Amino acid sequence: MNDRNLARGLFLVAISLAFGLTALRYPIGDFGRAGPGLFPVVVSVMLLLIGVATVVRSRFVARVHLDLHLKNIGIILGSLCAFALVTLFVNMMVAIVIMVFIATLAGTSYSWQRNVKIAFGLCLMALVFAKLLGMNLPLY
Amino acid sequence: MEVLHNLAFGFSHALTLHNLMYCALGCTVGTLVGLLPGLGPLATISILLPLTYSIDTTGALIMLAGIYYGAQYGDSVSAITMKIPHASSIVACIDGYAMTLKGKTGLALFTAGMSSFIGGTVAIIVLAFLAPTLGEVAFLFGPADYCALMMVGFVCVSFVTTGSLLNGLAMCLIGVLLGQIGTDVNSGLQRFTLDLPFLADGIGIVSIALGCFGIAEITKNLDSREERSPFNGKIKLMPTWAEFKRIWPSALRGSLVGSFLGILPGGGPTIAQFAAYAIDKKVSKYKHEIGTGCIEGVAGQAAADEAAARTSFIPLMSIGIPENAVMALMMAAFIIKGIQPGPNMIAGHPDLFWGLVASMWVGNCFLLILNVPLVRYWLSVFKVPYNVLFPCILFFCCIGTYSVNNNVDDIFITAAFGLMGYLMMRLELDAAPLMLGFILGPMLEENFRRALLLSRGSFTTFFTRPISGTLLGLIGLFMAWQVLAFFLKARERRPGDAATQPA
Repeated sequence: MNDRNLARGLFLVAISLAFGLTALRYPIGDFGRAGPGLFPVVVSVMLLLIGVATVVRSRFVARVHLDLHLKNIGIILGSLCAFALVTLFVNMMVAIVIMVFIATLAGTSYSWQRNVKIAFGLCLMALVFAKLLGMNLPLY
Repeated sequence: MEVLHNLAFGFSHALTLHNLMYCALGCTVGTLVGLLPGLGPLATISILLPLTYSIDTTGALIMLAGIYYGAQYGDSVSAITMKIPHASSIVACIDGYAMTLKGKTGLALFTAGMSSFIGGTVAIIVLAFLAPTLGEVAFLFGPADYCALMMVGFVCVSFVTTGSLLNGLAMCLIGVLLGQIGTDVNSGLQRFTLDLPFLADGIGIVSIALGCFGIAEITKNLDSREERSPFNGKIKLMPTWAEFKRIWPSALRGSLVGSFLGILPGGGPTIAQFAAYAIDKKVSKYKHEIGTGCIEGVAGQAAADEAAARTSFIPLMSIGIPENAVMALMMAAFIIKGIQPGPNMIAGHPDLFWGLVASMWVGNCFLLILNVPLVRYWLSVFKVPYNVLFPCILFFCCIGTYSVNNNVDDIFITAAFGLMGYLMMRLELDAAPLMLGFILGPMLEENFRRALLLSRGSFTTFFTRPISGTLLGLIGLFMAWQVLAFFLKARERRPGDAATQPA
């Protein structure tokens, strides 16, 4: 299972099935008078063929190890979601500070003094955006 | 002479204080993102897209275009001094970095800057003459022809950007499917929205671009855990007259190659650089030196790079079909501004078209100043450690996505696409064709349905019309060649495998 070529084929097959099977539930129509489901089905079938071809091909070429480092992507996505949630429930200034402190966990070194400086700078930048460029940010 | 008149008209628009400012801003930001890791032109244009809502149309497009071609300049600086290309200057690493190792960084930077200027100038002449002519050809295109042209674009982009036709096409198709999310324009039915109200308008292009390019790129850099060593060498910029004379022929050759390859579907800076470098290796007077760090190896590819970046606007502005991912994003910018790029644009908005063309030359001058005399100040940008840089990039991604609709839902979508982009990167799937598919998807569907409606459901319309028939024939030939090449290669390998296995 730990094979990048195989995983790629399965990924493509999964996406094509997800879209194709949903599209089958929409009115298909015929080619002369296409319904909303027709085009997605055609595209999904093409993607499915490519996915199957990739799976088949992976049996014939050398295996390539698939390495996933879930830690960093998890931290980055976590900081994004935290930013969104805190913006929604508190305000964006706090959200910026929290995002900086979570995101830098993924860096090569961690220093809270540096984080304070970055967060301060970014808050200042956000103020500039809001006041000078007239962007509508819920900063406070 | 009409062209000169039009160009003069364009310059009268580009040289207003307002537009000069946007042009300078675009070039500066472009150079900066070209230098920095983790933010390519794609991600930057999508971050700045929401910021352009409040700017007038010409100014906004001048700025975005400036970011695109400015990033090509900045990228070559980082490639020459540290062998780190971010966007596309892969070829600049070969001879450019070799020159740095020889202690001739200043000469390499001067050559790159000067040749880029030459390349840009040649490309603008091509653009001014060719785009209006090609626009008239585009009036002959029917829906079936547009479909065929988009398919050609998909095939070319897939082959050029990923090298693997199968993977690239798969990404295009995924992009097309993602473009289907939202309300169907013909029937009003909501498709693939999972009953989430914020998906009814479709996924925002900014979310996809920032997820697949911004977030995925940051994580990739974090995963590799490399500490970059900033460049500390001395830079002596002014070349001698003999060196200066060596730049010209190679740069002109590169400009022509780049201008031509930039127009073709799927073309663009990357392939143009490789072609120009290969040609220099064949015909240059100093071909024996290429590869060891010589002027020709830098000049030709830098000129081709810049030229292709500019001529790739031609298909977008005259036919209305973007040919690569960045152009797809530029098309989104045009549409946000209420302008449909295509054959009618040049006639309908001459101030915008000629202003943009003229601004490209103005931008060229800005970039020459920014990148040749001022280059040593830019190099201090590298001293910012990545641990400080990436939270800032994340911040820009957040603010960029938020300000599209002033809605936090978009940040969650960006996060979702960040995960998808990361997975695709690990699976060796390139996200650039996906962007093209996403933008072209709705157009493809509309033209596909219209073509079949006109032909009452008969597929022969795609083959009997001369334009689409030719284009599809080309795709067929290309596919057949690919399959043949695959089997020939497999057969070649088979005996080798059999020989090694018993051992």
